Amino acid sequence: MKREEIRVLLMRVGGTNCDKETQRAFLELGAQADVFHINQIMRDKEKFLEYDALVFPGGFSYGDYVRAGAIWAKWIIAKLGREIKRFIAEEKPIIGICNGFQVLVEMGVLPAFNGISEHPEAALATNFPPGYNCRWVYIRHENHGNCVFTRRIAKNMVLRIPVAHSEGRFTFPKERENVCLERLIENDQLVFRYCHSDGKPAENVYPANPNGSFYDIAGICNREGTVLGLMPHPERAFYWWQQPDWTKRKFLPQYGDGKLILEGMLRYLEQKF
Amino acid sequence: MPSKKTGRLYIRKKLPFEVYEINLMNADDTELQIISRETGVGLSLDEMKAVQQYFKRRGRNPTDVELQTIGQTWSEHCFHKTFKGTIIFGDKEIESLFKTYIFKVTKELNPKWCFSVFEDNAGIIHFHGDYCVAVKVETHNHPSAIEPFGGAATGVGGVIRDILGVWADPIACTDVLCFGPLDFPYEKLPTGVKHPRYVYRGVTAGIGCYGNNMGIPTLNGAIRFDESYTGNVVVYCGCIGIVPLNKFQRQAEKGNVIVLAGGKTGRDGIHGVTFASAELTEESEEVSRPAVQIANPIQEEKLKRAILQIRDRKLASAITDLGGGGISCAVSETAYRFGLGASVELEKVPLKYGGLAPWEIYVSESQERMLLAVPRNHLKKVLEVFEDEDVEATPIGVYTDDGLIRVYYQSENVAEVEVSFLFNPPKAIRRAVWVPPRFEEPEFPEPKDLTSTLLNLLASPNIASKENVIRTYDHEVKGNTVLKPLHGELAGPNDAAVIKPLDDSWKGIAISCGINPNYGKIDAYWMAASNIEEAIRNNVAVGGTRIALLDNFTWGNPEKPDRLGSLVRACQACYDFAKAFETPFISGKDSLYNESPFGPVTPTLLITAVGIVEDVRNIVSMDIKAPNGLIYIVGETFQELGGSEYYVLNGFIGNSVPKVRAPQARRIIRGIQTAIEQGLIKACHDVSEGGLGVALAEMAFSGGYGVEIDLARVPVRDIIRNDFILFSESNGRFLVEVSEKSREEFESIMRGTPYGLIGIVTQSQHFCIRGLKGETVIDVSIRELMQSWKFGLEGGGSVK
Amino acid sequence: MMFKARVEVTLKKGHIDPEGETTARLLKELGYDVKSVNVSKVFNIILKADSNEEAEAQVEEMCRRLLANPTKDNYIYSVEEVE
Repeated sequence: MKREEIRVLLMRVGGTNCDKETQRAFLELGAQADVFHINQIMRDKEKFLEYDALVFPGGFSYGDYVRAGAIWAKWIIAKLGREIKRFIAEEKPIIGICNGFQVLVEMGVLPAFNGISEHPEAALATNFPPGYNCRWVYIRHENHGNCVFTRRIAKNMVLRIPVAHSEGRFTFPKERENVCLERLIENDQLVFRYCHSDGKPAENVYPANPNGSFYDIAGICNREGTVLGLMPHPERAFYWWQQPDWTKRKFLPQYGDGKLILEGMLRYLEQKF
Repeated sequence: MPSKKTGRLYIRKKLPFEVYEINLMNADDTELQIISRETGVGLSLDEMKAVQQYFKRRGRNPTDVELQTIGQTWSEHCFHKTFKGTIIFGDKEIESLFKTYIFKVTKELNPKWCFSVFEDNAGIIHFHGDYCVAVKVETHNHPSAIEPFGGAATGVGGVIRDILGVWADPIACTDVLCFGPLDFPYEKLPTGVKHPRYVYRGVTAGIGCYGNNMGIPTLNGAIRFDESYTGNVVVYCGCIGIVPLNKFQRQAEKGNVIVLAGGKTGRDGIHGVTFASAELTEESEEVSRPAVQIANPIQEEKLKRAILQIRDRKLASAITDLGGGGISCAVSETAYRFGLGASVELEKVPLKYGGLAPWEIYVSESQERMLLAVPRNHLKKVLEVFEDEDVEATPIGVYTDDGLIRVYYQSENVAEVEVSFLFNPPKAIRRAVWVPPRFEEPEFPEPKDLTSTLLNLLASPNIASKENVIRTYDHEVKGNTVLKPLHGELAGPNDAAVIKPLDDSWKGIAISCGINPNYGKIDAYWMAASNIEEAIRNNVAVGGTRIALLDNFTWGNPEKPDRLGSLVRACQACYDFAKAFETPFISGKDSLYNESPFGPVTPTLLITAVGIVEDVRNIVSMDIKAPNGLIYIVGETFQELGGSEYYVLNGFIGNSVPKVRAPQARRIIRGIQTAIEQGLIKACHDVSEGGLGVALAEMAFSGGYGVEIDLARVPVRDIIRNDFILFSESNGRFLVEVSEKSREEFESIMRGTPYGLIGIVTQSQHFCIRGLKGETVIDVSIRELMQSWKFGLEGGGSVK
Repeated sequence: MMFKARVEVTLKKGHIDPEGETTARLLKELGYDVKSVNVSKVFNIILKADSNEEAEAQVEEMCRRLLANPTKDNYIYSVEEVE
């Protein structure tokens, strides 16, 4: 399909608050992008399936009460579960950013080692060191080609993108930590790890790893590579003037690193459909 | 509420719900005061007498609903009696501080770009094309002293509603906080006063929680410490919004429906207004808990979404936020503003729980509520928009054209007051005196080791990095932050933040502030002058032009003449210097009665500056950029160390408070603006707390390069000591980095102003300063400087 | 019949508890001889059910579906009938 035919749906609910800038990025990239409150979507579920890609933007859905992302996730599974499953089965891409990543994990859509799980197989726990943290970090691309969003990003490439959250510590069940990690790597589901500016893994050292994530995990995809969740915000690293050191550089690229991820999704759609 | 003894002053009406008639008609002066106290309305005897006379004319007693309405409307918080009243100051009689000093600046300058100032709940100025910028800064001191987290959070929520209340989309928040020293000894704390560390953690968490949850970046601020804030935390919350004028609706009419939207109403915040206008005492904690509101930022986020849709579809004719005084103030202010009356049916107000008396419903300050005036033919659509966003909205009455506020509960008329009476309280008359305090100018020898002095200054609480607080605020959300509060990889302190709010324009908004309570201890006049200039300098340093100011006063009890005297001094400076710099005031707020068992808060004036950046691609950050860059200081250094961080570090206040020399400062500011516009400046930093030494260190370690500086080249007046040149806090100065190729052009622009080429940027990591005799007075690595600065405040920036 | 359920969600062993650790550190700063702090979350739920067993089954399901994430959380609950 052509770029301008691609229709991206950004879903929101009370507390979602990064929808506008994410929509702006997709529009800048030449796709169509609509933001809809779930109340509007529920009125016409069929319309939902007309979209080519789905975005869960950042924010604090339902105030992040109970656990970050949990309430929205369970709501979606209960009310839109069938539609979401169909969406994934058709290999349409879904991306969850920050709160969106938390939602996808709580939905069981990520990592989904054996397909969508009834209960979450991972968690995005409270940060260590604790508290909300807004800062630019480096993440290294770890995927070997399974993730449809990052196929055009070179393996081991370092991207600079900001995080802003208080519940982003990626965690597996303690007793199965290593088994889960092996599967994640084996299935080529590991996408981004926090690292130093030179690409060396953060190895759980703060602030390179800003939240204490297990194995410095910043983003993962599902087995099929069509669902991506990540804590860093690509939409905030989209334009050159959003970057932290731009006043220092003499020559600036037109865009920031976040563009690579969002555009990757559109390129996948262009080729696949 | 009434005791047995005074029971005859209150007559329960024979109704199926709780309404009292207040027996004012026959009350004597003592009884009037008792009534004021027992009902918590907090009115003075003169005011109670005015109420008595009004109801005598009408031949009846007021109900509790009426008395409470009047108490709310006439409170210091809502009506600003002190700023609007008469002040006798020496042989001078000042009719309204506000009109005489603050508003006068704006009136005389009368800039075309001011769209609406001091009229609405926020100042509104033109920005780009049809777009205006709305700005407001509020105080939330008393609630934050009682419950730091909730008080601060609802402070942010309140100021965001002020912005929504002029139909603007909130796009940035600011916060300026003043605490007691974090190491204050526990054993010295009086009962009822919380430890500054507890207050600090609670307040900063509350600020972050609200802005982050609502998805509004918190971009600019400051944190100050002083003993006088120990019982009196100061919390300033600001918000900036953007509104297209073609969507700005402001014409409520007779017949428009009053729609209450947002959270349910409970007892929260009842009497918050009168509480903010009284001193904090030991009992405050026990008595005032109900006055503290509970924050729900997600509710406000939903409310915001709905309101912006209603704005864009032009479905409502007016809007106002519910703040102090709740429904009572919002309804009567709207009626007053549009020359209307109103009829309200209180039983329609959605409640959190049963058992609220009608007056409680009417004055409750429950958070996250807004009031709209909606033409009948749009009502259905408006309610649908709210429903879609999961926000409760209820028609609770209608605007009329008879100039009367009528309140009903279950069809019974429980209040009927003329709007004209409500907005004409008796004028307050207060006395003010000003006795200049006498602090000795200290005498001490120049220290041998200025390196350790500089390191200590960088680590002192007012100067040290606030990174571990700033990082808990999301300053990137919305993706429009062009210049961040912490700059780049090394997180240096930018002078101002810049946002680019429109997708199709390079125009930006620069937000900065000026606050230095230390100077106010010597003279509030020069404090105000310095704060104004500092806020402007901070703005100019990043590229701000066409600057507008906001004033926020936090003072002690204005009924005490000495407190009021310094307030008058500060207001005089506000006129003198805002006028001189041609920077109009567009909004402001005062919080008085900030007293605790420790005495009054030190006079604290916050000046917020909002500037326009014509093209954000030209903005300048404070970090030095490249080796061999030339470092200039622009402006003269005087021996002005009174209230300086250097004196404070040595245990003194001093007397030589920094002055503002407006004509010269204006020339310098114009020069810097021109040089930035022409792209000649690589880095620019305002010189303020900690003087030249601290500003240079910040530029160096934020840029990652060393410098070589020669103090003999700094333009000075009558200073012969290296420490004084390094740490004097004279106003009117900028540090600037210029590349060799721009040298001539820069110098020709700055011709006629005092400047000195004081050194260069080096490839090395050394921070080297030579003294007046050519001797090395400071030699230290920039890493060490940065460590001091980053880890000065409670262990610092990079580990929380 | 109405029931009152009290659900407590705690962290599983082996997971770090940043909130608890911070609180412990602060309490130590205040001079208490604190060894450790664990933070848990409590939900008090009033619900309708036909029997105690049914109420318990519902609460169990609530825990599994929403209140706890089995990756890191344990939960315990008690159910009693109320007026």
